[in-house]
Amino acid sequence: MRNRARASFIVMCSLVMAAVVYAELKKGYYSPAQLGVLRQPAPVELSQDSNFQVSAYPVPAVELAPGDGLQDVQIYCNTCHGTRYITMQPPLPAATWEAEVNKMNKTLGAAIPEDNSRKILLYLQAHYTPETRKQ
Amino acid sequence: MNAIERGFSRRRLLKILGMASSGIAASRWLAPDLAMAQQPAPEKPVETFTGPGANSYWNSVGPYVTEPQKVPLILLTDRPVQLETPRHYFRTAFTPNEAFYVRWHLEGIPNAVDLKDWKLQIEGNVNKPLALSLPDLMEKFKPVSLAAVNQCSGNSRSRLQPRVPGGQWGNGAMGNAMWTGVRLRELLDMSGVKSGSLMVQFQGLETGAGPAGFGSNLFLKSLDLGNPVLDECVVAYLMNGEPLPMLNGFPVRLVVPGYFSTYWTKCLTWIRVLNAPDENYWVKTAYRVPDTPRGNTSPEDVKAGKVKLVPIGRLPVRSFLISPDGSAKIPAGMNVTLRGIAFSGFGAVNRVDVSDDGGKNWMAAKLGENHGAYSFRTWEASWTAKSPGRYSLAVRATDEKGNTQPDEPVWNPGGYLWNRIERQELVVGNAS
Repeated sequence: MRNRARASFIVMCSLVMAAVVYAELKKGYYSPAQLGVLRQPAPVELSQDSNFQVSAYPVPAVELAPGDGLQDVQIYCNTCHGTRYITMQPPLPAATWEAEVNKMNKTLGAAIPEDNSRKILLYLQAHYTPETRKQ
Repeated sequence: MNAIERGFSRRRLLKILGMASSGIAASRWLAPDLAMAQQPAPEKPVETFTGPGANSYWNSVGPYVTEPQKVPLILLTDRPVQLETPRHYFRTAFTPNEAFYVRWHLEGIPNAVDLKDWKLQIEGNVNKPLALSLPDLMEKFKPVSLAAVNQCSGNSRSRLQPRVPGGQWGNGAMGNAMWTGVRLRELLDMSGVKSGSLMVQFQGLETGAGPAGFGSNLFLKSLDLGNPVLDECVVAYLMNGEPLPMLNGFPVRLVVPGYFSTYWTKCLTWIRVLNAPDENYWVKTAYRVPDTPRGNTSPEDVKAGKVKLVPIGRLPVRSFLISPDGSAKIPAGMNVTLRGIAFSGFGAVNRVDVSDDGGKNWMAAKLGENHGAYSFRTWEASWTAKSPGRYSLAVRATDEKGNTQPDEPVWNPGGYLWNRIERQELVVGNAS
């Protein structure tokens, strides 16, 4: 009698457990994620004077491919614009990169010293063409 | 049951419940595939660049970023700031200011404007140079309002094959707002344009680190004084009834209805009448398109020097399906509403057609409220897929001048004027 009660109790509990496990699997599914990648901005304290101001524009770090010429890219390209201009592009043929470097130097007046300019071009061609781009 | 039995079963119950909960944990840990089979995988981020093939996403592929006065938008570049508006903000005719796309040319963009010092200058080949404060603009002139689409010349550049360098925009470098301000013509008349003048040049507060006289130093745009669009231009101090966000050109920006955004100078501070053609980089070299139908050409013709380039002008007719966006499947037999927008810089959109077989058969969509010829026009159509499958939805707009969207791609070296018929695949699943 006692054994029967115990047995049926265990069977019942097993069924409940199975149902709970099943329901748990059906109702939701979660995966680990990184929190705080995109934080909410805090409300800004506003003054009543005539100066209409916003906070600094954020400049997130750019992941450039490591390699020869990277330092030249970081020094010279960054003078006028962020290097995200490089990573934002699709993989571009070597000749297109050459035209871009020429455009910066001649049309837009960057006038980067020849040696550094050549290093920059070789770097771009080594890491950002359809054949070479990895990241 | 006696007391001993109760005690036993309570202990037993606790033990079993404990086992049950560790069973749940274990089942998740041991059999994640079982859970995976029940539910779709969690969202994975897209790769942050596309190519050398065309970008297949509606938007560009950068991460979201939060900039001052903005909701999270898609980052193209941070210095200077270029941000794209995500697709779902285009469900309505007017694009919210905080979601409006951003495109600057030079890294020196203002974080602040002190209205105590700021004046809009009208100078150059004029009888009476003017310096107008914001209160002058708000009080001395009758305000005019007009709805107009602002679209970047390079919107959808990432569709081009072969790809061209430049901002790799998806479709979100556009927006529509109700602009309120002063007619440019009134300002020019008050200042008195001298005879023999050729162009009017616009300069805002952005500056670059490049040497003087180069495009990397100043961003300058000009329009011919004979261009009739000057009569429609507005120097706007309100955008959708609010001050402009700093990133969209506070305190005033030029509105050139029907024209690409390159002419819509932000933080407009100098209006300069010229008696000689403007030969600066941004007019003479940049923002030029082939003098061919649709501005279409080929890399071969460019190389052969066969292509004559002219300044970019009006917005070709375009339309978009905004929702459903293909991110969720639709049960067969369910009557869903297709929603989107259309616009043209050549005349009001008066027809939008929708296809669910990739463009073989078309049906007319219902147009939404008319906010004027230069505004987004919303459209909707009800659609039922009777059986499961993959459906290629296509949308095509026609304007009052009879311009309609072609189904051929466009290619030019600047990556401008893309207006091919857009397609969206929708997946329909079994409803029973």
